[in-house]
Amino acid sequence: MAKPRKKMTAAAKNEAKWAWAFILPTIIGLLVLNYWPAIDTVIQSFYKTGDFGMGNKWVGLANYEKVFGSAEIWQSLWNTVKYALIEVPFGVCIALVLAVFLNRKLKGTSFFRTIFFLPMVCAPAAVAMVWRWLYNQQFGLLNNIFHTNTAWISDPNIAWISIGVIGVWSVIGYNMVLFISGLQEIPGDYYEAAAIDGATGIKQFFKITVPLLSPTTFFIVQTRLIGALTVFDLMFMVMDKTNVALKKTQSLVYLFYDYAFTKGNQGYGAAVVMFLVIFIMIITFILQKLEKKLVFYN
Amino acid sequence: MKRILSVVLALAMMMALVVTTANAADFTINVNIWDSNQQKGLQEIADDWTAISGVPVKIEVVDWNNYWTLLEAGARGGELPDVFWCHSNTVQMYMENDLLLDLTPYVQKDGIDMSQYYEGITELYTRSDGKIFALPKDHDTIALLYNKAIFDKYEVAYPTDSWTWQDMYEAAKQITEKSNGDVYGYALNTSNNQDGWYNLVYDYGAQVITEDHKGTTIGSDNGKAGMEMVRTLLTVGAPQTVVAETGTDSLFQSNKVGMITQGSWMINSFYTAESHADYYWASLPYADVNGNGQCDDGERWSCYNGLGWAAAYNTQHPDECASLIEYFCSEAAQKKQAELGVTMAGIKGISDEFANAFPGMDVSAFTKAESFNLYFRPYTRNTVVWEDALQQQGGFLDAWQDPSNAELMATACDNAQRIIEEAIAAE
Repeated sequence: MAKPRKKMTAAAKNEAKWAWAFILPTIIGLLVLNYWPAIDTVIQSFYKTGDFGMGNKWVGLANYEKVFGSAEIWQSLWNTVKYALIEVPFGVCIALVLAVFLNRKLKGTSFFRTIFFLPMVCAPAAVAMVWRWLYNQQFGLLNNIFHTNTAWISDPNIAWISIGVIGVWSVIGYNMVLFISGLQEIPGDYYEAAAIDGATGIKQFFKITVPLLSPTTFFIVQTRLIGALTVFDLMFMVMDKTNVALKKTQSLVYLFYDYAFTKGNQGYGAAVVMFLVIFIMIITFILQKLEKKLVFYN
Repeated sequence: MKRILSVVLALAMMMALVVTTANAADFTINVNIWDSNQQKGLQEIADDWTAISGVPVKIEVVDWNNYWTLLEAGARGGELPDVFWCHSNTVQMYMENDLLLDLTPYVQKDGIDMSQYYEGITELYTRSDGKIFALPKDHDTIALLYNKAIFDKYEVAYPTDSWTWQDMYEAAKQITEKSNGDVYGYALNTSNNQDGWYNLVYDYGAQVITEDHKGTTIGSDNGKAGMEMVRTLLTVGAPQTVVAETGTDSLFQSNKVGMITQGSWMINSFYTAESHADYYWASLPYADVNGNGQCDDGERWSCYNGLGWAAAYNTQHPDECASLIEYFCSEAAQKKQAELGVTMAGIKGISDEFANAFPGMDVSAFTKAESFNLYFRPYTRNTVVWEDALQQQGGFLDAWQDPSNAELMATACDNAQRIIEEAIAAE
């Protein structure tokens, strides 16, 4: 619908001026802190970067050729996907069940909501440090309680699951809060009518709650998936450089950090991160296509 | 009336402030370091300089990892601290890009004798065109640290200064076996290079980085012999999965490990540890390569490294910065540095006092190491790249995961040779 063009009145012009003045700081912030670095990353990925950002040398697609030909990159992509495959489904399902329980009028709901949300308030680095000690093979709480001698974070077959568990634990509270707000949008009449027709609690959950909550679920899955694919801090804090399981757990962003900041090869690091961006774009595109089929908007 | 009075009073107070600060300089020299153990002692030395120059000095500590991120960001943005530490890992890049203040004119003007410092350190901070960008702050050496209580408990003879690596292996084996694996005789982590396995490579006659900084002999027969000894030690030491999770220092301080090798920069953390009364230092073992039963020249090496005091190329106060650096690197200040137990000096032969700086703990093993063969910490233009790759899979990690397999170690040495050569070629 095309709007008829109207000449602005003096008052409207004045208003527009102020509107611009108010959003300008945010826009400048976005441009300088978000968009420019993003564009700069794209540019850098075509260069062999020199020390301290000086003397960059154009190398065309060489960085990308190296990325696509590197077994390390594909392994890290697979690590990242594996992490997402743990964090997103478990993070969503457990949060949904908790949200349903905590959405009832029970004593102490706000207490439990706070408890479950707390991990979200903790600094991720601190969370990772505490888990690292819980997992410790020699002195860790887990092995002490269960009288086992499992190398939770140094056994390449287990470490990726251990890291995923930390991710699930940290994200449940946040997902839960979103689910609770989604649940409160569902009118109570549906449940009353279903109860009169003799539907059990479980049936109500699958026939009413799950379909009507699908917009919220979709939102959470999409944002968490992107979040999980860009995971960095868990691997960085939990895994030591000499950990034998590092290669089987390090994420793409970890590799990016390692190349760009530890080894001072920003160009290659930028190419790694562009590889990830393209991957996330493909995933998001597929999700958007699926949205029309899976999500129920009433 | 009241108002006038208060204005007058306020003015008087401001005057007083101006007058009292007029003597001191109206600026501060900002100093960045990464070791909080040294902050107190260095501040004391800096205050001595302030007493002479009237310029206050503020020393700030940023931990090792963030230090380099911060310094690089500062270098890009032209916002470096006035005076700061340089390290062999990265200083080349800073010198080549002219990010450090050229100290040569000051050294010439004040007639500083550069030959009084350790050669390796001076060489490190002198650019290929002969310009000096940092003065040697200190030097460090390596020694063997052992827990007497563990040796007593399992009735094993204490380490001596005439131990070979083979003797160390026997002792470690006894501890590990007698305790049924509850306590490990020895612990080594791939990241303990300077204080750990590098020394064995040199003892057996190879070099991690050759003297021209353009190659390595780690894949040679000598290098392999050294690493074979490392492998042998590891068969009776803590497994790598354990070390990667807890760290050798923590294992040692939890009384889980009988012996580790450590550098003099770490003394304080063991000196202040809970069971420090059980901790004793001995000289690094040697390799009896010619088998004559005594330590000959070239059979016992200790790595040494030295930090440098440098200033930013664009500091507002180059003269004061240079003067502070010269003071830090003067004989008096470095003697004091050793006496206070901060570190041993960058100047040769004045560190004896360091041995007495920790009452109740004998650290003379570090000053004794000065009479061994010393080699400077191996570096190239971008040391981190190959140092990092050596620690990971494809480097030594595979071999150290399974020390029972001698072939893995020989392959790892070949890999290491290739990794280092490729990294140098890419610099």
